[in-house]
Amino acid sequence: MKKQVNFAGAAASILKWFVLIFFLLVALLPFVWLILSSFKTNYELETQPLAMPGHFSFENYANALKTADLARLFLNSIIAATGAVALNLLVTAMAGFVLSRENFKGRDTILTIVTAGVLIPIISFMVPYFMIITKLGLYDNLAALIIVYAAINLPVSLSLITSFMKAIPKELEEAATIDGCSFSQRFTRIILPLSRSGLATAGTFCFIYAWNDFIMAMLFTSSVSSRTIQLGIKFFTSQFITDYTGMFAAIVLSMVPSIAAYIFLHNKIISGLTAGAVKG
Amino acid sequence: MKTRKNSNTAMIILYLAPLIILFAAFFLYPLVFNIYTSFMKWKGGGEMSFGGFRNYIKLFEDDSFLLAIKNNVIWALAQGFIQIPLAALVAFILAREPKGWKLLRTVYFLPNVISTVAIAMVWVALYNPQYGAINAVIAALGGRPQNWLGDPATALGSIIMMTVIYIGYFMIIILAAVMNIPKELYEAAEIDGASKMQQEFRITLPMTRGTILTCMTLAMAYGMRHFETTYLMTGGGPAYATNTMGIALYNKMDALRYGEANAAGIILILLGSVVIVLIRRFFGRRDPMADSAQ
Repeated sequence: MKKQVNFAGAAASILKWFVLIFFLLVALLPFVWLILSSFKTNYELETQPLAMPGHFSFENYANALKTADLARLFLNSIIAATGAVALNLLVTAMAGFVLSRENFKGRDTILTIVTAGVLIPIISFMVPYFMIITKLGLYDNLAALIIVYAAINLPVSLSLITSFMKAIPKELEEAATIDGCSFSQRFTRIILPLSRSGLATAGTFCFIYAWNDFIMAMLFTSSVSSRTIQLGIKFFTSQFITDYTGMFAAIVLSMVPSIAAYIFLHNKIISGLTAGAVKG
Repeated sequence: MKTRKNSNTAMIILYLAPLIILFAAFFLYPLVFNIYTSFMKWKGGGEMSFGGFRNYIKLFEDDSFLLAIKNNVIWALAQGFIQIPLAALVAFILAREPKGWKLLRTVYFLPNVISTVAIAMVWVALYNPQYGAINAVIAALGGRPQNWLGDPATALGSIIMMTVIYIGYFMIIILAAVMNIPKELYEAAEIDGASKMQQEFRITLPMTRGTILTCMTLAMAYGMRHFETTYLMTGGGPAYATNTMGIALYNKMDALRYGEANAAGIILILLGSVVIVLIRRFFGRRDPMADSAQ
C-alpha cells in the first residue's frame, strides 16, 4: 500500500514538473532564440537556425541603433505613458474620493456606468476616436495618445481606486473635519496619502497598457517626431526587409527597458494585479 | 451630516467633472455616434445619408466578415476553455509552493509586460518557413516542415497556440485566490486521509470557482475582441483565414467606409456582451458558491 502511494506520488511529481518546465520553456525559449540569432549573420540564420552564432558580433546592434532613432522613440513612449498615468490618476483619484467618501444621489449609478466601460471593446471606437482627435487638432501629437490612454483606463482605475478608498476608516476624516480640515484638505492631506498603494496599482495597469499599445499609436500619429517605440519597431522592421538578424537586434533593444523595469518592479506589478483581483 | 452634504455639492460636482467629461467624450459619445452612423451611408469626408440596415446587411453578406465572426468565436472558446484551464492548472501547482515557485511565477508573467508588437514579430520569425526555429526543430526530429502562417489551414491554429505564452496573467489572479483559501481546510482534509489530488478537486476547485469563472468571462470577452496580435502577424490573411472583426473594422475604416466600420463596431460590442451574459448564465446559476468565493 505504501509503495503504491509513493509510486503515485512520484508520477504526480514528474507530471507537475513537466507542466512547470514546459511553460517555463514556452515563455523563455523564444527570447533566447531571438537573442542568439541577433548576433548571427543572415547566412548563419538561414543555413542553421538553431546553431550558436559563429562569433558574437555587435554589428547588428550598431546597425539597428543607426537605422532607427531609438532614443527618440523611447522618449516619446515615456512621455505618452507617464502623461497618461498622471492624467488618469488625477481624474480617477478626485472622482474616487467623492464616490467613496460622500453620500449623494446618483453616486452608485455613476460608479456602475463608468465601471461597465470595461465591457466595451475599445477597437470598436476607432472611427469616433479618430474624429475626436482630429477635431481637437491633436492628430500626430503625443497629447492625443496621453488623453486616449488615460480615458481608456478610466473604468479599471476608478473601480480599483474607489474600492481602495472605501476601505479607509471614516473616523480619520471625521477627526480631521473637527480639526478644521476643508473638503480639499481632506482629499490632499488624508485620503490621497493613504491611497498610495491603490494609486500605484491603477497607475501600473495604465502604464503597461500605454507602453504596449500599438493600435492607437498607429491611428493617431504619422510622423517620426511623435512615433512611439511600439510603432517604431513595426516601422523599422519594414526597413530591414531582408536583414532578419538586424531586425532581431532592433527588437531585442526595444524590449530591454520593459524587461529591466519588470526585473525591478515585478513584485509590485504582481501584487498590484492580485490586489485588484481580490474582488473578482 | 445633512448640512455637510449640502454645503459640499459644489465641491462634489467639481471633483466629478473631469471624470464625467472624459468618460462622456471617450465612451458615451462614441457609443451613440457608432449606433447612429451605423445606419448611415457614410464614406470618409463625404456627406452622410440615411441607409437603414444597409451597412449591417452588407457585412452579413460578406463572407470575409462572417469568417471573422467565426474566428472570433473560435478565439473566445480557445481563450475560455484552453487558456483558463491551463492557467488554473499551473496556479494550483504553484500554490503548493514547489521549489522556486516565486521565480516561476515571475517568469510566466513576463510576456505580459512585453509589447504585443515585439512578441508578434518574434513569433513571426519563429514560424518562418525559411529560417524559423519551429521548422528547424521539426526537421531535426524528422517531421515535415510547414508554412505555418502562410497556409490557410494552419495559420489560425498557429496564432492561437502561440498565445499560451500569456497564461501568466490569469494564472496570477487564480493563484491569489488559491492562496486565500484557509490552510486549515487542507489540514483537516489531510487528517481525514484525503489525497492531494482529492484536495484539489474537493477544496481548491470549488473554493476558486468564482474567480475562475470571472477569468473565463474576461478571457472569452478578450477572445471576441482579439485584434492586435493577428493584425501584426498575418494582417488577417492568408485568404482571410485569420480575419477577425477588429481587423475587418480597421480595413473598412482604412478604406474610408466609416458607416460599415461603425456597424462592424456595433456587432463587435453586441456579440461581446452576448458572450459575457451567456457564460454568466450558464455557470452562474448552478453554483451558489460562485459569488461568495469571489
